[in-house]
This record gives sequence, C-alpha cells and structure tokens, in this order.
Amino acid sequence: MTAVGRAWRRVTLPGKVVLVLAALAVVASGLLAAAAVLFGPPIVAFLEANLPLVRFVVAATAVLLVTVPTAFLIIYMEMKVIALMNLRIGPDRVGPFGTALSVVHGLKVLAKEDFTPTGADPVVFTMAPVVVFMATVMSLLVMPFAPGLFGQDFNIALLYFFAVGGFTVVGLLMGGWASFNKYSLLGGLRSAAQIVSYEIPLVLSAAGVVMLAGTMSLNGIVERQAGSILDWYVWQQPLAFLVFFIAATAEANRTPFDLTEADSEIVAGFATEYSGMRFGFFFFAEYVNVFVVSALTTTLFFGGWNAPFDWPWPVTLALDPGSLGILLLVGLAVVPVVGTLVFAAPFWLARSDWPTWQALLAGFVVFNLVAVAAVLGWAFVSFDWVVGLAWFMAKTYLFVFVFVWLRATLPRVRIDQLMDFAWKWLMELAFLNMFVTAGALLVVDQLRG
Amino acid sequence: MTKPPGLGIVEGLALTLRRFFAPKATIRYPEVPADVPHRFRGRLQLLYDEYGTLKCETCFQCAQACPVECIDMGGFDTRGRYHVHWGPPETYAERREESALRRSGRTVPDPAYEHWTPIDPAPLEAILEAHEYDPARLLEILEATQAAYGYLPVAALRRISQATGAWYAMIYGTASYYRQFRFAPPGDSAGDAADADSSGGAAARRPSEDAYLAALATALGGRGVGQP
Repeated sequence: MTAVGRAWRRVTLPGKVVLVLAALAVVASGLLAAAAVLFGPPIVAFLEANLPLVRFVVAATAVLLVTVPTAFLIIYMEMKVIALMNLRIGPDRVGPFGTALSVVHGLKVLAKEDFTPTGADPVVFTMAPVVVFMATVMSLLVMPFAPGLFGQDFNIALLYFFAVGGFTVVGLLMGGWASFNKYSLLGGLRSAAQIVSYEIPLVLSAAGVVMLAGTMSLNGIVERQAGSILDWYVWQQPLAFLVFFIAATAEANRTPFDLTEADSEIVAGFATEYSGMRFGFFFFAEYVNVFVVSALTTTLFFGGWNAPFDWPWPVTLALDPGSLGILLLVGLAVVPVVGTLVFAAPFWLARSDWPTWQALLAGFVVFNLVAVAAVLGWAFVSFDWVVGLAWFMAKTYLFVFVFVWLRATLPRVRIDQLMDFAWKWLMELAFLNMFVTAGALLVVDQLRG
Repeated sequence: MTKPPGLGIVEGLALTLRRFFAPKATIRYPEVPADVPHRFRGRLQLLYDEYGTLKCETCFQCAQACPVECIDMGGFDTRGRYHVHWGPPETYAERREESALRRSGRTVPDPAYEHWTPIDPAPLEAILEAHEYDPARLLEILEATQAAYGYLPVAALRRISQATGAWYAMIYGTASYYRQFRFAPPGDSAGDAADADSSGGAAARRPSEDAYLAALATALGGRGVGQP
C-alpha cells in the first residue's frame, strides 16, 4: 500500500485526472461488454421492432453532428476565398493553412458572456436561435445525399423542406420581438418581410421541376435525372434555376440580399441584443443554411448524386474483406510493417544523409497516404453510396463557392430594390416559367398521344 | 449604349475570379523575409536632429562595427587631401577632438594618412611569408615591418591587412596603441612634431599618460613606475 501511495503521490495533477478517467473508461467498457453479452438479444429485438424510431434517432443525430464540420468548413471557405479574391492570404495562423480558425471562432463565441437584456422574454429569447437552427437542421433530414443515404424518403419531401425551412421566419421574429428593443423588432420584421417575399418565387420556381418529375419526393426527383449530364433539369428549366438561385440567395440571407443582418451598416437587425453562443447559433444556422440551399439546388437542378457521365471503363473489384477470414487479421498485422519498410527503402537508399529513423518516418507517412488512398479507392469502386456522396458533395460545394463568390463580388441592395425585385421580377418570371412548363407538358402529352 | 441587364454582374464575377488566382499582395514578413542580398543592412545614411544639424559625433563605432569595411570616417580637408581616421575604441575620445578640429576647417596633422608613399614590397613580403600571414602574430609582423622600413608606411599596413585578412581598422588600432610604432620616418618633421616633446624613454607617451604616471608615483611614495 505504501508503494502504491508513494507512486500516486508522485503523479502530477493532470496525470491523476487521466489515471482516474482511464480507470473509469476501463470499468465502463467492461460493463458495456457485459451488458451486451447479457442483454444483447433482447435489446436488438427491441430496436428491430421499432426500426422507424431508431432510424429517426440515428438520422437526427447524424444530421446534427454533420452540421458542425459543415459550418466550420463553410466559414473557413468564406474567410479564405474572400481573402484570396481581395488579394490577401487570409487565415493562415491556426492549423494547416489556417483551417482551425473556425474552431477558434467557435470557442471564442462559447467563452463570451451570454447576455439577456432586462425586460426581454427569457424563454422566447433563448428559444429563438434554437428554432432558427432546428428549422435548418430538420430540412436536412429529407436531403438525399447518396443512394440509400438519407434520413427519410417522403413523398412530399419538397413540401416538407419548404415548410420546415419557413420556420426560420418564426425564429427571426421571435428573436426580434423577445429582445425588448425596437430596433431588434424592426430588424425582425424586415427579415420576415424579405424571407416571406422570396419564399414565393423560390417555391414557384421549384414547381416547374415538380411538374416535370411528377413527384415531390427529392429521391424521386434525383432518380428522374439519372443518366448523363444532359438529363439534369437545369437544361429544361434554366429560367427556374436562375430564379431559384437568386431567391435562395435571399432565403439564406447572403449578399447581395443580406439585409437581415447587414453587419456593416445597420445594427445586425434581429440579432442586436444577442451575444455569446446564442448569437453564434444564428450564424451557425446561416452557414448550415448555405449548405442546405446549395444541396437543394444540386438536388433539383443538377442531378443530385448522379454522376455527370458514366465512367467509360467500368471497374469491378470483387473483394470482400470478410471472405479473407483469419488472413485479414494477419494482413492487418503484417501489411503496415512491410509497407512502411517498403516505402522507407527508397528514402533510406537515396538519402544517405538521413538517419534511419527519419527514413522510416517518411516511409510510414507515405504508407499511410497510400493506404488511405487505397481504402478510399476501394470504397469508391465497391459502394454506390460513396460515389454518390462524392458527386453530391462536389456539386454542393461548387454552389457554396458560388455563394461565397457572389458575396465577394456584389454590393448589398437597398430594401426597396430588394422588394421590387422579388415582387415585380422574380415572381413574374417564376409564374412564366410555371405556365410555360405546364403548356409544354400538355403539348408533349398531346403529341405522344 | 447601355449594357444588357446582368452583364455588369457577370463582369464583376469575372473580375473577382481573376483576382482569386492572381498573386497576393500580402507581405508575410517574419515567415518570408524579403529577398535581399545576404549582407544587406539597409540604406546607410546620417540622421539630422530637429535643428537640422548632423547628429553624427564621429564616434567611429559604425566604422568599427562595419563587417565589410564599407564605412570609412573621413573626407577631404580644406586642402583637398583625403583623410581616413578610424581607430580602436580606446582612442575614440582623442579622435573626437580631432574630428572637432577637422570640422573647424583646419588641417589636422595625421602623417599616417596624408598619402601613400610607395614602398618596396620585397622586405614586407618576406616578413609576411616568415610569419605565415597569421593575423594572430600581428604585433611581430608590425615590429618586423618597422625594423625593415624604419616606420610603418600606410602602403605596408594596407598590404598587411590584405594579406592577413585582419581589418585595417584593427591593424591601425594595434599600431597606434603601442608606443614603439611610428607612422612617419624618424627624421620627418611632421612625425617628429608628435614625438619631439620629449627626448628619451618617454618618447611617444601621451600627455595624459605622463600626468597619470606622475600621480601614481606620488601615491606610491616615490617608487617610480615607468619613470626613468
């Protein structure tokens, strides 16, 4: 006991914390394993009996988790791309090429005081950012990321999408009203006016696509666009795409239509009284919204997860890791060592001034790169959903880039110009597109007999 | 003729996209230093105070520190003769007086630098060869040179500096520090003027040194220190 006590006293404070946590982790994993062995079958049976519920919980968790890196990535992208377009270098201090700066921003916002003004309605004031954020996240649930990779396949997914997305207005009005500040209230009303106005051309322009596809299920719309790049709806609905994209810019509160916050001239609108993470949540939601809107553009007009062309040389790789049996374990043990040595050999031979450990390290790094590339390539060849996800993300981030590009280029419009544009131009164009599409569909139906 | 609507937006987008790929204007100073020659130290210039007078006190520290000996404190005097007058730090105070004299416009007698008397290099080369061009043996070289030429000609000092690699300022400082060295032939009137105030062992002693030694002797109770 004395020996153990002496050793314990020699450990530093962080060491004590880590030791306790490690012991707890060991105990917890042991308990988990025991629980899995003892109660495994009944738990699995219960989960199988309630599969839709499980699916919803898993999907909601996954979507919530996905929003964090998405927002960080888009924030970083915005800082970097706008900096490059301004002939600056942009963030390059934290992490490789400044990639961790978004994390620092997040921590900074978390560390700030969370302030509620006197006279504010605390419940509504607190719930407003949550409503805005949830409206954005919930709309991700129906987004078809890849074949088989979606939260729920509704037959009215598009309607659900616009309906849930419309909750954003409620959140903004809540924030503006609960702040107990006339400027916040005015800002909230201004945002509501803008978003409601642009919701109309947004939905009307999507109506053309719905008519063509004959379904409101986003999965169905993507499947209707299967084939080559020529089968995407953007070729049949160019006007709808234009109207949709402009309206979506306003819907996501992006420049040139970011009248809702307009950080450089009017006092942040509805968010005037917000601080700390509640303020952060509004902008978190905004960046996720950029992703959502880009994803919807991709889904409706650019074929979703469909590849733009068929890979001309189909590769089939009949490799099932499970079939290897015990060899898989042996391979997992042997391949890293052999691979490291093999990739270290050229460094060791060509660089006589390097010490051996350095050559081994270089070999290890190269082996890891090659291994990751090989695994990704194997997944790309073997699984449909990996291919679909890759194409979907590529297209979506292309549109995210366009949003950022627009922000770096265009100045903000005035509020009356904003309203004029929505009601006098976009809505008419959307109606025109809808009528022309309907007429064309009738004519084609008549011709086909 | 007005532009069709939307064309301005497209032009702006094209402009920002070109800027996106253009080289960046940011100067990343601590990470990426400017591409200048290795020994670049910036532009050398003398500063003026708020009254418009030169701040330089001719303290010789810049010349002493300059690694490439590109700074020489000197100039043309009223007779159009060129003077270089840097030296070891121990002599800065004296040299400040000299420089004050020089700024007054009068000629400062400094026989070592009035001109370069051409010398026969053969004895010097033999000396340098014998001492293996070793700057650490500078004192021996200087003594041998003075023995060969009777004094230390500027040309010889230049050659020593060139051959051994020691800075000229160091050689001059060494030579002017030890009192057995002279920069003018013994018979030269200008050289004699500096040394003529005494005849005997106190030759080439500085005036303040004499006073110091006298005071020291008094303090030590009559036991002569360095006195004959």
